[in-house]
Amino acid sequence: MNKFFSNRRLVIVIVCLIVSFGLMSVSVAIRNKRSTPPMIQQFGNDVVGLVNRVVAWPVSGLKGSVTGFSDLMNTYQENQRLKGQVQELAQTKVHDQAVNQENKKLKKELKLAHSLTDYSPVNATVIARTPSAWQNQVIIDKGSAAGIKKNMPVLSGSGIVGRISEVNRTNSKVELLSNSSESANRFAVTIANKAGQNVHGIVSGYNRDKNLIEMGNVTSKTKIEKGDKVSTSGLGGVMPAGLFVGTVVSTGTDNYGLASKISIKPATNLSELSAVTVAIRQAQTTN
Amino acid sequence: MLRVTKLRYGFPIGLFLFFYFDGVLGAAFPRQLFSVPYAMSSYLVVLWLVFAVFFEDNLQIPLGIWAAIAGGLFDVYYTGIWGIFVFVFPIVIALTKACYKAFPINFLSGLLVYFIDITVICTLSYFGNLVVHMTSASFTDMMVDSLAPTLAYNLAAYVILYFPVQWLFNRLKN
Repeated sequence: MNKFFSNRRLVIVIVCLIVSFGLMSVSVAIRNKRSTPPMIQQFGNDVVGLVNRVVAWPVSGLKGSVTGFSDLMNTYQENQRLKGQVQELAQTKVHDQAVNQENKKLKKELKLAHSLTDYSPVNATVIARTPSAWQNQVIIDKGSAAGIKKNMPVLSGSGIVGRISEVNRTNSKVELLSNSSESANRFAVTIANKAGQNVHGIVSGYNRDKNLIEMGNVTSKTKIEKGDKVSTSGLGGVMPAGLFVGTVVSTGTDNYGLASKISIKPATNLSELSAVTVAIRQAQTTN
Repeated sequence: MLRVTKLRYGFPIGLFLFFYFDGVLGAAFPRQLFSVPYAMSSYLVVLWLVFAVFFEDNLQIPLGIWAAIAGGLFDVYYTGIWGIFVFVFPIVIALTKACYKAFPINFLSGLLVYFIDITVICTLSYFGNLVVHMTSASFTDMMVDSLAPTLAYNLAAYVILYFPVQWLFNRLKN
């Protein structure tokens, strides 16, 4: 042991430790404060991402053939179920169109250019996922060249799945809602109950064991029930309003019994992402 | 000696291929690898480096430097946090070399060495993330939700790839 920790080795170990902690804290500080990573990191990520697409191509082809087979097996049941939904959807679509037109006219009369609900979608493909348990993070194939900025919301399926955490020129990283870091999923959301009243709040955490989003510190006395829909409120930052987050599963009080805590089931299965949409808000943003 | 064999090209190509597979497999099979709350982290790039220690014989590939390069890329591209894997990967390679000197390596003892390697990687990366507040999971959560599935996945990869990679190294050396 004495020989191993000779003076020279000890110094090297200590220097390495200091450099490691220094690098970690600097990169976290940059990640939290700056909108883009340093130039060298961006360039490196772009180069690495380019080759990643080449490697991802045959693997996703293989996966496509496997899922194609399993999809074929349950086509009949799915078809039956979807037939019922299609009729309902046609009705909603026509109604939606009428409402949309009315909305446009009214906006024109009010001389409103873009309201909080307007966003333009950018479609992207997931090319890699961070192989780490501590960062539920995926890498998508669109970056600042496509107009993506830090903190923009990312959608998949019927709802929101996360937000952009790092932007490079041709790829970016998406922190998923299920991320366990302390600042990953603080979305401003609103819950509409059956009486049409709204409760505003912020997503405060994620329950790993039950796969539920938690919204804490709610002091409003408005009655929230199981099944109420949760969507983004568009307050603050670059988030548009009206993006579906999930449905309320249960309500209760927090550990101190003062404020209530609401558990929300995410709209999309967070562990199954292949194509995502980044929502770029069109209304004027504050940052 | 590295200059005269095909390993000169083969080793870096394999390293980068395994590096990309780590991320691509996670994206292609998320339901199998990341079913909540368990998370299997794929460290195939470490497997390649460890195999290189086992099979290089007296070729003297500068594995510490390659491990640092792979770790640096892992930090920058996958996690976005500098300074964790860039040190963890060379530490693991040094550990594997020390084991290699201490006792003869065959399929089974290699499996045990790789078991220790993955445990070290998981634990160190957990503490790294804990220090910078990227996670608030407890140590027991880490053991059950991350370390155990990760070990299962990576040891299975070791068992499947040991003989093919040994064959590949032998071919590339001659």
